[in-house]
Amino acid sequence: MSGEGDLDRFKNLDFMKMDRRTFLKAVGALGASLFLQTYRGDIVRALEFAETRIVWLHGGECTGCSISLLNGGEPDVLQAFSRLNLRLAYHEVLLGQQGIYVDGKMEGTSELNSEILFEEVIAEKGYILVAEGAIANGPKGTGKYCFLGGKSYKDIFRRTAENAAFIVAVGQCATNGGVNSADSEIRDLMDFRGVAFTMEDRDRGILTEYGLEKPVININGCPPHPDWMLLTLAAVVLGKIKVPDDLPYVLDEWLRPKIFFPPDHVIHDNCPRRGYYDKGEFDTVVSGPKCLWKLGCKAPYTHADCAIRRWNGYHSLCPQSGSPCISCVSPGFPESSRPFFQEIEDAGIVGTSIDTVAKVAIGASLLAVGAHAVRRIAIKEKPEEKGKQPEEKEKKSEEKPEKEEVMPEEKPEEKSETAKKDQGDE
Amino acid sequence: MVEVTVDQLTRIEGHYRITTQVNEEGIVTEAQSIGLMLRGFERFLQNQDPRDAALLTQRICGVCPTTHSIAAANALDQLFGVTDAVPKDALVMRNIHQSLNLLASHATHFYVLWGPDLANPAYRTLLGNYGDAGKAVWDELLGRFAPVSYRLDGVDVPVGSGYVAALGEKRRLHEAISLFGAKMPHSVVAHVGGVTYGPTAADIGQLASYYWKFMDFVEDIALGVSPETWVENTRFASSPQKAVGFVVDRLQELVDASLVSNDFSYAAGWGDVPLYAAFGSELIGEEVLGLPVSMKLDRIGGYSDPSKIGFLAYGLFFKPELGDGYDPASPPESRVIPSGFLNGNLELQKFDHRKISESIAHSFYVDTESDRYPMEGTTQPEPEPDEIDYSRGVESRYSWVKAPHYGGIPCEVGPLSRMLVMKDPLITGFADLFREKGYPVTNTYLRMLARLQEILVVASELIKWLAEDLNPNGKFAVPTDLSMAKDSEGMGLWEAPRGALGHWIKTGPDSKVTLYQAVVPSTWNMAPRNSAGIPGPVEQVLLGSKISVAENALGVDYTNPLGILHTARSYDPCLACAIHAIDLKGQQKGQFRVV
Repeated sequence: MSGEGDLDRFKNLDFMKMDRRTFLKAVGALGASLFLQTYRGDIVRALEFAETRIVWLHGGECTGCSISLLNGGEPDVLQAFSRLNLRLAYHEVLLGQQGIYVDGKMEGTSELNSEILFEEVIAEKGYILVAEGAIANGPKGTGKYCFLGGKSYKDIFRRTAENAAFIVAVGQCATNGGVNSADSEIRDLMDFRGVAFTMEDRDRGILTEYGLEKPVININGCPPHPDWMLLTLAAVVLGKIKVPDDLPYVLDEWLRPKIFFPPDHVIHDNCPRRGYYDKGEFDTVVSGPKCLWKLGCKAPYTHADCAIRRWNGYHSLCPQSGSPCISCVSPGFPESSRPFFQEIEDAGIVGTSIDTVAKVAIGASLLAVGAHAVRRIAIKEKPEEKGKQPEEKEKKSEEKPEKEEVMPEEKPEEKSETAKKDQGDE
Repeated sequence: MVEVTVDQLTRIEGHYRITTQVNEEGIVTEAQSIGLMLRGFERFLQNQDPRDAALLTQRICGVCPTTHSIAAANALDQLFGVTDAVPKDALVMRNIHQSLNLLASHATHFYVLWGPDLANPAYRTLLGNYGDAGKAVWDELLGRFAPVSYRLDGVDVPVGSGYVAALGEKRRLHEAISLFGAKMPHSVVAHVGGVTYGPTAADIGQLASYYWKFMDFVEDIALGVSPETWVENTRFASSPQKAVGFVVDRLQELVDASLVSNDFSYAAGWGDVPLYAAFGSELIGEEVLGLPVSMKLDRIGGYSDPSKIGFLAYGLFFKPELGDGYDPASPPESRVIPSGFLNGNLELQKFDHRKISESIAHSFYVDTESDRYPMEGTTQPEPEPDEIDYSRGVESRYSWVKAPHYGGIPCEVGPLSRMLVMKDPLITGFADLFREKGYPVTNTYLRMLARLQEILVVASELIKWLAEDLNPNGKFAVPTDLSMAKDSEGMGLWEAPRGALGHWIKTGPDSKVTLYQAVVPSTWNMAPRNSAGIPGPVEQVLLGSKISVAENALGVDYTNPLGILHTARSYDPCLACAIHAIDLKGQQKGQFRVV
């Protein structure tokens, strides 16, 4: 944890626009709790505004993202919401109401009937739509594989999205289809879609299917860290980032906040087992203490701040518990990570033909060590690079990546140690 | 006849509809349990490395991911031929992992998912008829169980104190799991042959401190007495009568004092469990304790025909004293909470996994057979949109949930089944009492009480595993190699917080998965009709239920079917699990027919 001094330095910064080095210094301090304290002044002002309503929808999902959210915030997520003047206007797992139909008609009031509540809420417009779960498009474009309150979720999601100010997609199922879109004989029949992407394909996001344009922020992860969700909502509500104007600068090409998914930082950089990697000592059987590279760890090409922020009370990390990183924040998850327990080199790049395998890079630190000087880290190339160009706004972000550089006293770090950078899922 | 449909049933995991026919007296005459979504989970495990299953299958459910990962690891142990060798300390770690998840899940269910129905405005009206005492009880219910964003008469109601406290406990218990499992949901530690992480002595110390913190919550907020006292006098009571006597005596003291003071607060000793135990039941509350009013939850949620229902447990928690290895068939003597099957009259029979079968006669799948043992499972979702109609009634296909049965009998699974199979004196004693007094034996009240009792039972084991059985210098995995999984099969029997869970897996000559099948608790509980036309457990219990508050005490209100809500949610439904759906071997097209 950083001390008071560090906190003071971060106080007036636009959080989501920090450069990576500043953020790395701040991140230990800026859990949701300290973020809220740090920006108390803004929050007080926010409370003078009208409340921000959140409509939280569940499609094809496991509710893990909601459960993860509930693990966030200090002292708890409900207080965080209350301080930010966020109202959870609709959330089917947490609200008191339920859908009630008597002889086919919605009956009662919105205080008891969630279907009436839902209609009232979306008629008011202007809320933030938080999407959890994939959208079933099958079979044959009907969306009948997910059918709620007598309507397809595909239609419910469209209506909700149309009236939303913007969309925050949380978790892999919503951002990219996730496990619902994993390769199988019935994948095309089910035809689950992410909001803006299906796996790595932007043309197959459900918004494209609708022909609907809405700003989207993707909070990837299976599940996402609660801080990623809460801090993003906080930054938006407090005006720390303006939607849509600031999005090109703060999001990467997969629409993920760069602050949580830093393009020039991988989990491997800060892995607690990193020392073993540098010494060339690897576990080949689970339950040992060493580097998990040979057990299939994907941390060397996974862009997320897990190893700095840590999980569940800021103390844990998958490789710390002896399990390889499965890169659950990558757009192609799980396809891009399977098989989980096979060293990447041996796997022949999972689920893709060799043609789609992109460049390889030689880990600089490995060169130094010598023991694995020729260890090559192969990384999957995203299909977009071959096909269409990133959209205009993403280009802009590339043009001025250092715009918000705020702590220039730091020297740039040594060019990354490994697994860079031609580049994988980024 | 009025059709009352709850769609969606919220405050559960997943997407679920209940359609009922209700007569003029407000009594359910027909019920349909309908899973509204397909996910297609097991299909994408096919043709893949089987070791991924422990990490991937837990993504079926974010509420009980732990359970799926352990059930998968158990199945993989057998697939790789190492069940005899899994080290004792790895088995203890699976116990600890599962028990922490169970405590978090049960607390979340009681306070966050089920509890808010106690803050339903119908109780305000009902209790308002009973003077200051009634009003005081309503204030407690609302103050403890009001959910997020709750409004009554247009006025915002603060979130309930019990609700908030339980969320804090869930968060802390997830932190405890992540000490060795990295994160929750979707922890990573379960693995073929053992676990991926051996805890340090420091980890064990921290786990113990999380444990004691949770027990403070149990004592101060939930029970109002020390958990040790409770367990000693209930789980370890010398007879079921004595266990019930302990609880009733305790409640009587509270009632006698509070009917004078009109004080039903925590400070007066009314933890949430005694408050529920006294006011939830007509028999205990009104007849035994002399309360003027109760919720009468013991009048609903029982099965009317004992020949059509059973109670099933696969067995949970390895016995550390048995050392390394375990029997994948889960004989009753091998698990702390034993496996077993109780018929509709609660007569115990030995569990035999070969009697498990799944029917798809009323589910949206196509297959050449209507019933299959999971290891032979082949299923394919209905591909024709016109064939998918959720409102065609009970003669048709109407759900994505399959209908599992045990020797042809639909079964309730979950804490009530487990506590009855285990012969927990308190739950057995209450069941005996309800039978004797002519109440439904396995009612909604008892189903919830069994879940609360299981928290105490499991917590008393957990501290023993931590303090006595877990050796940080022990062995935590046996080495495995993918070649060990050639042409093999595995079965993983385990218990989720909400009931029996089984995973079945097969591999081919290249060690790749050829079949994966999961039969999960909510598939059992929320099942539609099976191929013999027997309704699933929830469909059965709703029959004959009065739909409105306290046995229609305020008349019939079709717009607030609280009786249905209490009972359906008492099973802790998890539809993402129930419709994780399908398995399958590579079937040729055209080989299917609509069943």
